[in-house]
Amino acid sequence: MDPLVLGALVALATVIVLFSGIPVAVGLLIVATFFLFTFDGPRSLQALPELFYGDLNSFALLSIPMFIIMGSAISSTRAGPDLYEALERWLTRVPGGLLVSNLGACALFAAMSGSSPATCAAIGKMGIPEMRKRGYPDEVAAGSIAAGGTLGILIPPSVTMIVYGIATETSIGRLFLAGVLPGLLLVTLFIIWAIFDTWRRGAAGVALSGVSYSWAQKFEILPRVIPFIVIIAGVLYALYGGIATPSETAAVGALLCIIVAIVVYRMVQPAALWAVLRDSTRESVMILFIIAAAGVFSFMLSSLFVTQSVAAWIADLDVNRWTLMAIINVFLLVAGFFLPPVAVILMSAPILLPIIMAAGFDPYWFAVIVTINMEIGLITPPVGLNLYVINGIAPDISLKKILVGSMPFVLCMVLAIVILSAFPGIVTWLPDVLMGPEA
Amino acid sequence: MTNNSGTDRAAPLPAALRFILGISSVCGVIASFMMLAAVLITCQMIFIRAVLNKSTIWQTEVVIYLMIAATLIGLPYVQKLRGHVGVDLLPTLLPLRMRRGLAIATLAVTAAMIAVMLYYGFDMWHFAYQRGWKSETVMAYPLWIPYLAIPVGFALLLLQLLADLWLSLTGQPMDAKGLPDVGPEMSEDY
Repeated sequence: MDPLVLGALVALATVIVLFSGIPVAVGLLIVATFFLFTFDGPRSLQALPELFYGDLNSFALLSIPMFIIMGSAISSTRAGPDLYEALERWLTRVPGGLLVSNLGACALFAAMSGSSPATCAAIGKMGIPEMRKRGYPDEVAAGSIAAGGTLGILIPPSVTMIVYGIATETSIGRLFLAGVLPGLLLVTLFIIWAIFDTWRRGAAGVALSGVSYSWAQKFEILPRVIPFIVIIAGVLYALYGGIATPSETAAVGALLCIIVAIVVYRMVQPAALWAVLRDSTRESVMILFIIAAAGVFSFMLSSLFVTQSVAAWIADLDVNRWTLMAIINVFLLVAGFFLPPVAVILMSAPILLPIIMAAGFDPYWFAVIVTINMEIGLITPPVGLNLYVINGIAPDISLKKILVGSMPFVLCMVLAIVILSAFPGIVTWLPDVLMGPEA
Repeated sequence: MTNNSGTDRAAPLPAALRFILGISSVCGVIASFMMLAAVLITCQMIFIRAVLNKSTIWQTEVVIYLMIAATLIGLPYVQKLRGHVGVDLLPTLLPLRMRRGLAIATLAVTAAMIAVMLYYGFDMWHFAYQRGWKSETVMAYPLWIPYLAIPVGFALLLLQLLADLWLSLTGQPMDAKGLPDVGPEMSEDY
């Protein structure tokens, strides 16, 4: 059979199988097994466990559970609310200070926890009630936190970026740096929109007014927020100083964060510590299962020559590279509506990367574009994890209001993709300066 | 989610089923401590290398084995917690009866797939054991030890899946995705 037709069949089968609601990892295994069995013969099934094991057999992969434990330890403490409080006390005189401190706290906490829903929950629990109390419209309060939370997968250290790095064999350190300036760009766009929206809804007065805090209040909160920020800074420093690999730095970061949670936040009850371990195991196992299954899936694709044929076919089409990029963006966006970011990246990266490279795009720039697309998926139905998190912490704001509040932020993200396409240097400048030009 | 179906709440679970759910929870504890051990061993490795300036031999390999084992042993626990993500749009849109039917079908197909992995996984472990395969590192570990995680993990996952299937077929209340919901015990665990 023509590999291209086969590719179309694989795509169709994958969509059908995944829409049944079956776990993504199992769905990928089933499709891979079926096509290997049918087109490569029953003997190919013997390779299944070896492929599965081989995909997990990597030291780089260890950074995923390590960063998850680190984020889980931080999320289990009051670090989120503290961070928010600290920013609010220090930024109170800035116009729209409360929005700035909420979105800033989202960005910082995103870096610390690496998880979008955790960021939404940690900052939103304090931020949303506070914004509403001061008269901000519900839509703005809910939308800004939902959008701010999505930064978790873009701002380093980010598990999504690690998965991209592993799937495409690109440098995780460079990927992390690539996410920094686009992350700041997004925060800026979010803040501008949130302030504009507040004004548009006739609540300009509240955005300008601030509560004043004494210097004592401003300083007393710092000891509670500094430790985690120092650890994250230390982890990133060790990573870029070439002292240790991502997995090693993440392991040290995880241990330090657990210690800080115990010492500074007095998390001494065994139940609380167990909750940290359990939640990170749950998430790590889920992601690693998808990674192993996606490895088997992409082995099937290349063993049946689908990957190579699709890449060659697209190269032959000879379309304008920006048309190509627009089509890829639509594809990623749609996939992101339904699937978790990790699954989309693992399934599409092996096919998309050769196409992207052939069209002359930078793989690190593409990582950021992919991630922003995945961020959109986090605040759009039907999956839109962050929408449900917000709904959970502020049950009296209707899902519709949360959605209405979040949609303009989707446009901010689309705008960011356009800006980054026009000025790819925003992505590549920082890694080039700090790590030297790409080899 | 409290989207329980119209079915009556079933009688207390039979002992065999409670036993399987218990095993899955124990797996979660084991997997969690393997991950924690991986954190500590990695830190110890860095300490030896960076502070004591000595070379490290066994740590990298052991940490990878721990992570692989934790992943596989953790599978039944995550299944029990309904932590394996899927696209649950269609199930939530279906009427209750069809939702349960679809959930039963996907559970059965999942169990079949895992049984295939178990069969070939056991083969792989058995070969490594019989022929005394060793890892290609300085330590030359016998590979049957890390490989053991594959048949054990998939067997335990299969057990949990069969328990879920049994619960579905006996009309246990469902969650929003149509999977059996064994009540507060499970959600508390989450």
